[in-house]
Amino acid sequence: MSLTTAQKGLNRARRGVAPSGAGEPSGPTNRTSKLSAQTSRTFFWLLLPSIVLLVLIHGYPLIHAGVQATHDGSLIETGNFVGAENFATVLSSPAFWKAAQFTLLFTIVGVFGSWLVGLGLALLLRTKIPAGGTFKVLLLLPWVVPIVVSSTAWNWLVATPDSLIPSLFRHLGLGAPLFLADPTLAAITVMVFKVWVSFPFMMMMISAALASVDSTVYEAASMDGASRWQQFSQITLPLIARSTYISWILMTIFCVNDFPTIYLLTGGGPVDATTSLVVLAYRTVFQDFATGPGIAIAFLMTMTLVVISVILYRQIRKSSVE
Amino acid sequence: MFNKSSAASTAFSRRGFLGLTAAAASVPLLAACGGGSASQGADPNGVIKFWDMPWATPAYNDAAKKIAEGYAPESGKLKASYQTIQWNNFYQTFSSAIASKTGPSVSTGGGFQSFQFEQQGQIAYADKVVDGLKANGMFDDFLPGVLEPFKSEKGYVAVPWQLDMRVFWYRQSLFEQAGLEVPTDWSSLLEAGKALKKIGAFGFATGSGAGNNIGNHSMIMMMVNNGGGVFTKDGELDVMNDRNVEAVEFLLELVSNGIVDPASVSYTTENLNAMWRDKKAAFGPYVLGVPERVGDTSGDIMVASPLAGPHGDKGGLVFPNNIMMYTNTPSQESSEAFLIHYMGQLKELWKQKLMNALPVFKSITEIPEFASDPNNVKIVKEWQPIAKTFASQGNVLSDKLAVLDGGQALNQFTQTILTGKTDAKSALQTFQSGLESVLKK
Repeated sequence: MSLTTAQKGLNRARRGVAPSGAGEPSGPTNRTSKLSAQTSRTFFWLLLPSIVLLVLIHGYPLIHAGVQATHDGSLIETGNFVGAENFATVLSSPAFWKAAQFTLLFTIVGVFGSWLVGLGLALLLRTKIPAGGTFKVLLLLPWVVPIVVSSTAWNWLVATPDSLIPSLFRHLGLGAPLFLADPTLAAITVMVFKVWVSFPFMMMMISAALASVDSTVYEAASMDGASRWQQFSQITLPLIARSTYISWILMTIFCVNDFPTIYLLTGGGPVDATTSLVVLAYRTVFQDFATGPGIAIAFLMTMTLVVISVILYRQIRKSSVE
Repeated sequence: MFNKSSAASTAFSRRGFLGLTAAAASVPLLAACGGGSASQGADPNGVIKFWDMPWATPAYNDAAKKIAEGYAPESGKLKASYQTIQWNNFYQTFSSAIASKTGPSVSTGGGFQSFQFEQQGQIAYADKVVDGLKANGMFDDFLPGVLEPFKSEKGYVAVPWQLDMRVFWYRQSLFEQAGLEVPTDWSSLLEAGKALKKIGAFGFATGSGAGNNIGNHSMIMMMVNNGGGVFTKDGELDVMNDRNVEAVEFLLELVSNGIVDPASVSYTTENLNAMWRDKKAAFGPYVLGVPERVGDTSGDIMVASPLAGPHGDKGGLVFPNNIMMYTNTPSQESSEAFLIHYMGQLKELWKQKLMNALPVFKSITEIPEFASDPNNVKIVKEWQPIAKTFASQGNVLSDKLAVLDGGQALNQFTQTILTGKTDAKSALQTFQSGLESVLKK
């Protein structure tokens, strides 16, 4: 099957040229180079107050937390310098690795689960369906509703043997699952809850990306005889790749840092089955009052997030170059 | 369309992006754990700042505020201001404020908060307040044993003002339906539980889900009921004692017989309330005021008498909530004068039926507004005299108890027991190790 026309269109699209365009992209590099040194200085002075504010707001707690992570004090007293001892304590703790394992799984399911659901719904909303606008608004509800409300609703749905979903399972002859009391089911429930809360965000990101894809690319592909799947895999996915990677980075951060989804639904239990690193950090600082080790956990999380972000950012650059 | 996208790409520099990513990733984590700002100096307004928690409905805080702000000090002493502090992250709130010297002069707070801050040199001892209470006759009005747990080697760390009790409750109609007497000891509890299961009710209602510490308290309560406890009389860890092992074995027996709801491990407070409301809970430990809490004041839910353990021991659990004074105050004499005054006005809170806790003064337990509830009378008569604190088998409270009460070790232990997938000694050993590692830090 020949995809010549479609491939050309796709290549042009990737270069930033409309299918009917003349050829060379009018890239931003030229515009940027035209900015005079004077304009750059103006930008700098305009941005300076915000930068100073950001450094003060973010920098001070960061430095203070760094100090606490290397001391054996409390929230009130800094205590004695202990070097990397808190980090060593944390890294040698089975609870840390168990939480890290759950965080990894929670993040993978949260990111890709919500992306898949979001992608499916974004593609569905692209087609002409009755009451599409209303449908779109309704789909946004899980993202819009405060997490306290949705976690209460989910608790009501699954917490007791007489809750709606366990009752439904029982009536269907599927046993009487204890969704929050069984460690495995609790972990699954929390992850499904996360996907449910997050898919509208993915849907919006992907919808925005899809809106920027020129429909003539698809027309050209159709003329070349490309199947629906080929259009999806070789046109749609590559063209929304940048948005996809950005949404993955953001969702990774959301998932790793997600405290309320887990804490409100399960509190990290049963028996630590749903304890993520952020929940562990909170509990270590505020329930065990071990400030140094708790903040060390937070630092380790931050470093991991930065590494993941760098890797994904490289993918964005790679997709841009291609 | 494409040009805009490309422009965004160029402007979206790698360094900037990474900076933003790192900031976005780290700030919620680290800022949440970091300390507050560091302004210095005593309160410039020259008032005694009284911080209070939302102990009951908002009407409670209104009444407490009226008492605090209605205080007319004698000449030379300072007036008081009132501030409600939410329970969410309250320890962080207090810590940040104390570190920045913007904290209260006097406050209520977590049950063991005064001992935590005493360790950090932030608490002003209340010996002169106790002397004042002796002078005005209120000292002799204390219920037996409520003040002693606050006496450390250096002095009184705080003054108790209400008792948060854990007692057994039961639903009469379920026992009648099952043709049972209310249990009086552990063996009758076990037998009643088995019979109650046949009518779809649970003989030991508890829960240890998100934010629910009743499960944790149930575990310690049963240890105390059996003459055990987490600490020795000298305050050393003693988790593995025989009485504790026996109590945990009994709890596991309740679990394995289905007398404890298998979903209890994930039950929030609301889930537990629903259990009582929906007539699924026949018997179990809970706080004061269960009928009001679950919305059934028909008289069907009542306080049971304390159970006798296998060796004849009886015991309940009490958290003596207290009022503490801080060293950072514009005037220590004024703090003391205010606290003595406030203690003298507590009766008003029970008169207005605003409290879900026992008063610490005998005279308040005798007012009609309190004594008209037979459950209250039973708790004062049968439970308060035998109630023990988390410090049990010892008596004196300490900062260690804060780690025990809200810490991960007890919560994990409780959830392990409620899932039933353990044996008593293994669970207690893990509990002991968990506590040791935290208390060592």
